Amino acid sequence: MAKYEKILLANMEQPGYTGSLADYERAGGYQALKKILGKVQPNEVTETVKKSGLRGRGGAGFPTGVKWGFLPKDYRGPIYLCCNADESEPGTFKDRQLMERDPHQMIEGCLIACYAIRAETCYVYIRGEYTLATTILEKALTEARRAGYVGQNVLGSGVNIEVWMHRGAGAYICGEETALLESLEGKRGLPRFKPPFPAVVGLYQKPTVVNNVETLANLPHIINKGPEWFASIGSPPKSTGTRIFCLSGHVKQPGNYEVPMGITLRELIFEHGGGMRSQKPLKAIIPGGASAPFLTPDHLDVKLDFEAVAQAGSMLGSGGVTVMEEGTSMVWAATRLMEFFYHESCGKCSPCREGSAWLVQTMRRILAKRGRADDLDTLTDLCKNIAGRTVCAFGDAEVAPIMSTLQYWRHEYEELIEQAEAANLVQIEMAGAKQ
Amino acid sequence: MMLREKYQNEIDEILKHYPVRRSAMLPLLNLAQKEEGYISEQAMKEIAAILKLTPPQVYEVVTFYTMLSLKPRGTFHFQVCKSLMCALVGSDDLVEWLKTRLSIKPGETSSDRQFTLSQVECLGSCATGPMMQVNDDYYDRLTEDKVDRILTDLKRDGTCPLKAKAFMCPQAEQKG
Amino acid sequence: MHEVTTETINLTIDGIAVTVPKGTLVIEAARRVGVMIPHFCYHPKLTPDANCRMCLVEIEKMPRLQTSCSTPVSEGMVVRTATSVVNESHKSVLEFILANHPLDCPVCDQGGRCDLQDYSHEYTPTTSRFIEIKRIFKKEYFSPLIETQMNRCVQCLRCVRYCDQVMDVNALAPSGRGTMTEIKHFGDHELDCEFCGGCVQICPVGAITSRLSMYEFRPWMLKRADTICTYCGDGCQITIQAKENELIEVNSAHGAGRNTGDLCARGFFGYQMSTHPHRLTSPMIRRHGELVAVPWEEALEYLAEACVKLKLAHGAQAFAGLASSRCTNEDLYLFQKFMRLAIGSNKIDSSARYGHINAVRALRRVQGTHRWAATFEDIVRAGALLLVGTNITETNPITGLKVKEAIKKHGATLVTVESLEPAVGKLSNIANLSTHHFSAFPGTYPDVVLGLIKAVIEGGHLNADLAARAPAYVQALRDRVGALTWSAIESSTGASESALKEAAQAFAQAPTAVIILGQGVLRTPGAEGVTTNLLDLLILTGHHGRSGCGIAPLAEENNDQGAIEMGVAAEFLPGPYDITDAAARERLAGVWKDEVPPSSGLTLMDMVDEARLGKLKGMFVMGENPVASLPASTGVTEALQRLDLLVCQELFLTETAKLAHVVLPASSYAEKDGTFTNSEGHVQQVRRAIDPVGDSRPDWEILSALSSLMGYPLEYGDAREIFKEIRSTIPGYRLMGPAPQPPRPDGQVVDRYLQEGYAKDLATRYRLSSSPSVGSDHLTLRLVQTLFHSGKLSTYAKGLLAVQDKGCLAMNPADADQREIAAGQMVIVRNGQGEFRTQATILERVPRGLVCFPEHFAAEVRPLLSAVVDPVTRSPYFLSTEVQVAKLD
Repeated sequence: MAKYEKILLANMEQPGYTGSLADYERAGGYQALKKILGKVQPNEVTETVKKSGLRGRGGAGFPTGVKWGFLPKDYRGPIYLCCNADESEPGTFKDRQLMERDPHQMIEGCLIACYAIRAETCYVYIRGEYTLATTILEKALTEARRAGYVGQNVLGSGVNIEVWMHRGAGAYICGEETALLESLEGKRGLPRFKPPFPAVVGLYQKPTVVNNVETLANLPHIINKGPEWFASIGSPPKSTGTRIFCLSGHVKQPGNYEVPMGITLRELIFEHGGGMRSQKPLKAIIPGGASAPFLTPDHLDVKLDFEAVAQAGSMLGSGGVTVMEEGTSMVWAATRLMEFFYHESCGKCSPCREGSAWLVQTMRRILAKRGRADDLDTLTDLCKNIAGRTVCAFGDAEVAPIMSTLQYWRHEYEELIEQAEAANLVQIEMAGAKQ
Repeated sequence: MMLREKYQNEIDEILKHYPVRRSAMLPLLNLAQKEEGYISEQAMKEIAAILKLTPPQVYEVVTFYTMLSLKPRGTFHFQVCKSLMCALVGSDDLVEWLKTRLSIKPGETSSDRQFTLSQVECLGSCATGPMMQVNDDYYDRLTEDKVDRILTDLKRDGTCPLKAKAFMCPQAEQKG
Repeated sequence: MHEVTTETINLTIDGIAVTVPKGTLVIEAARRVGVMIPHFCYHPKLTPDANCRMCLVEIEKMPRLQTSCSTPVSEGMVVRTATSVVNESHKSVLEFILANHPLDCPVCDQGGRCDLQDYSHEYTPTTSRFIEIKRIFKKEYFSPLIETQMNRCVQCLRCVRYCDQVMDVNALAPSGRGTMTEIKHFGDHELDCEFCGGCVQICPVGAITSRLSMYEFRPWMLKRADTICTYCGDGCQITIQAKENELIEVNSAHGAGRNTGDLCARGFFGYQMSTHPHRLTSPMIRRHGELVAVPWEEALEYLAEACVKLKLAHGAQAFAGLASSRCTNEDLYLFQKFMRLAIGSNKIDSSARYGHINAVRALRRVQGTHRWAATFEDIVRAGALLLVGTNITETNPITGLKVKEAIKKHGATLVTVESLEPAVGKLSNIANLSTHHFSAFPGTYPDVVLGLIKAVIEGGHLNADLAARAPAYVQALRDRVGALTWSAIESSTGASESALKEAAQAFAQAPTAVIILGQGVLRTPGAEGVTTNLLDLLILTGHHGRSGCGIAPLAEENNDQGAIEMGVAAEFLPGPYDITDAAARERLAGVWKDEVPPSSGLTLMDMVDEARLGKLKGMFVMGENPVASLPASTGVTEALQRLDLLVCQELFLTETAKLAHVVLPASSYAEKDGTFTNSEGHVQQVRRAIDPVGDSRPDWEILSALSSLMGYPLEYGDAREIFKEIRSTIPGYRLMGPAPQPPRPDGQVVDRYLQEGYAKDLATRYRLSSSPSVGSDHLTLRLVQTLFHSGKLSTYAKGLLAVQDKGCLAMNPADADQREIAAGQMVIVRNGQGEFRTQATILERVPRGLVCFPEHFAAEVRPLLSAVVDPVTRSPYFLSTEVQVAKLD
């Protein structure tokens, strides 16, 4: 198996590394902050990040430095950084490990980003269920505050950067950056329409940058080793650096694997993940979290970078790679994901709100062998009518499992429908959005 | 005013973090939920008063977030992940096992108010499924035996040493 | 809401070129060229939310369909709303919205005027592909006035956003999420709010409807009449919808009237008083001590004869007339003309005497106008607003909305002087939006005003030109405020020097400023003086006379302004002109072809006195109810009982009518034509919506008929003919337009005021009020107007009684705690004059030391009150008294 240089998981894989401030400093932590604080102009930091080619690790993959560059120039009021730690995409569990095992790496990333965008306040919006990560980060922040990294006049530089933890309370949609801002403002987490983008009108109507945990965690390393170093890793020019892939499903060794972008799915699954868990061959792969369309064994040689996965008809998304073995019902799998999307649709936009309830019922009905011949046309139509017609990308995401399974495994649907009894309606329990 | 009497300092500290009071909504609701195990009407009114909002403005937020409950739950809230990734590795069996062990169905609370069973969506532990969260703690790589041990421990000690520690998967030691 | 500037943008919509102001939304630009883009969630009053996705359009160079409700126009933009892609998107979005809709149109009150019905008709096939189980919400009782049917809801959140953005009430909660999102109040609690009806009006479907007329009509059965609300001086345009002669509902079209379609509870739910079963339907005369019904002919002949006899015996000066400001201008005009010519007496007054006249007198004195020099639009666009003595949300809710809009949408600075604590409650509270709030006791508002003037003069905010223009005036005021110490002001008002200075600076430095004052000033001793001082404040800061600035006294009754302008006042002829104004008399005589009597007028309280002394023998009361309004200690009942002839034109057998010798059934505003003049001075058309109830007749018609029988015929074919005469006698009635030009202050009058006019009462006006020294266990009881009751008729309105049918004593939590009083408990309120029992309600917005009781339910409070009569304006002030409050065991 090929060995790659790790960036983000390097510290925590050292024996005895606890993630404490002392451990982190011993491993060279906070050197990047010291290197730039008061010595490098904030806009130069932004240029460095642009040069590194770093793209967002949350799902959309937008170039980080470019995102920062959208902040209004010569603006004098408050600017906010929000660290998006609302990791909720099914199949994704990298941020949890980054936060629980090496909290200071992320905190240093937050501080560097704040410095670069001249934000004096960073809110770490962490999903409510992550109580252990919250506790660990709180403790780390206390250490960092005591050591002068966080708070007023950071390391005597005259720069103020406060970092506050903000716990969510159970809503997938709050990982969408504008829903996150609404939630942070104490409201229901409904996405805002864009434009205006958060960089112009964000938290409290002020310019705001929202960056994912993994994205921010890369920053100290980019500062320390230079953008050229970072840009040389992975699949330049468009997919630079490493990626932590969260491998789950029917593989031998599920887990987080940090590898350079651009290795193939085959390498990830069969070398790093140890291959399939049993004799059953591989049947399907979700390459980028629940929102990413399914791929087939034919796609095993697709490179895991933004462009190649997109070209294959899916997306790199959050890095959650889920593997399914032969024998897994694709209608069942798609229904299970559809249930997730139905449960998490915030209800703002009509197509997604009503469409998710419609889709989930039709899928359950087909799965329960009560499908009808015209169901597949209706499903296809509904999916097309949801995608691209909603405020946020959730609408595109929720149709991905159905659209892609219909594309590759249509016969499974058809078989179920053929088995269907008379087309009487099945009573489907319409559970409330709240249990 | 119950929360303020007990947590005045915490509340003051929370409010200090935000330039706009309303932002303290989720922190205060999380505090109230921790205190009472659910969000009571009294708590919503009190939080509304602290934030200078109307009670409906607090209520609408409570109903949006799944972790916040308007009804009391059992002492131990078993939340089993039912999302696809855990389902691929047996979470449905886990739920069946818990149903028989606890004699309740998902969404129900046992008559002694000890246990509430819920099925929830992905909790970010897909490599270590099937898994569940009991109150604040994660328990992963669950088997029937492991569940039984957790139940025994919880009933006896109120906690269980099997709960997940700081997450790392695969373990560095196992590698290479 | 996007700010619209003067900059313009050119774009093309469906091939039509259009130029619109920068910031215009595509959906609005399309409307301009007649392209109606379907939508549910968009509403011009609300910030776009883009949630229904119905208004998707194609815009060139944009990757996917865009919501036209949230996209501002840009130069060269090419929009297509009628392509097959757009059409298909409308269909598909509607298919989703209809999926869960119950299609219960036959039993839906929105049926026939429903956006969803209309769009379905336009865009959907007749069959649905949805074969799954429809979402069903548990039906819950929502409130006595507002019904929800959540299965019909399209989750557009217009109601929620209206309640927040326009009303600032925040009573509606979208609860749950996803497809299970439903509109609730607070858990299972029934709705408790301002009941403005805005959610009913703004709901595009039948999810939120009025309970008052539930299931009673189909929209096409209704006859509409656009008229003016009768509950307060705001003068909102309403559309009364009637089925046959039954009042079904009231609404107000978006953008209609001075209220631009917004209403309050009184306007929206208060309409049924016109058809209350207790309406008087027949004339009555007193025979053997009893009022007995008689035909009109008999009643009028009896009355005419009695009048003639009484006049012969005691002369015209034995007659007086009192009219209510709820009547139309035509009624009021004819009333004074009848009194002056047919009877021959100038002894007339109206309910404007209770307060509004104080403001008009001050305006005439300082600026030579009797109307506002500002408009509602000026309030909305004001840089700074100063509200003195007006809990505007409850007294004048729609003017209140203008204030809210100014602050919430345009960022105005708000200074408030009012006995309100900023606290969130079920009603919106203007103090919550205030940037500089002074929670002062009613009696000390004048002192806060003095503090502001002192801060302006001493803080260097004096208008630069003024010192040159009127040095003596400035010096005199400077001397006066110099004599007031900050500590004295603070001990009187509780307002600190720094707070006053900050507020004064914000007010003075704003580009435009409007001062709004209400009953808290106008019905409190010194009212005319305080109004004059507020005009001083405008003059000193240079705002006076500037466009967009002015002082805006709020009328309590809907036609207080009209009553004064019609000359129903002791001191005024129609105009109003001073009764002593020879030129005005001459002009009037030219129109009337008869002389105005030379005698002087008589105010309300002096009428009571003259009646008690036996000097008055006959009195005409048109819609007024002094027996219920005035404190018992004024002896009004005994005084009226001494009259030989008391005539009441009334809708109901009021306390005053019960004493009358002749009671004549009058028609309500819903049954007649005419005009009202609102606070703002806007003259607006009142239109008949239903036929007169019973044998009732419009007030003017009664007077006209009576005059003929008395041998002095004042004959008019209809209300319009009277209005024509009004136009020829009264300035300001010639132009009736959608947006009147407010009068400018008369430069000569202002100069006269600045040279010498100011001086005569300067010492009185610039003196701190002596704060009453009372025991610590005393509380100040204040009669207040509540949101749900105003004017003379609200207590007959079923809808309003459903939300408030009695008075409660509102008190501060600390005062209640001190007396161990819990919410809802019975308390006893007493002072040296009497006592009454009532329930306590505990409200954080009531300041410590004050207890409030609604004036409309204050019958039992009257014995505790005393009236102070203004030495100059003769207004009776009786809203406050000192009391002790104790828990009733």
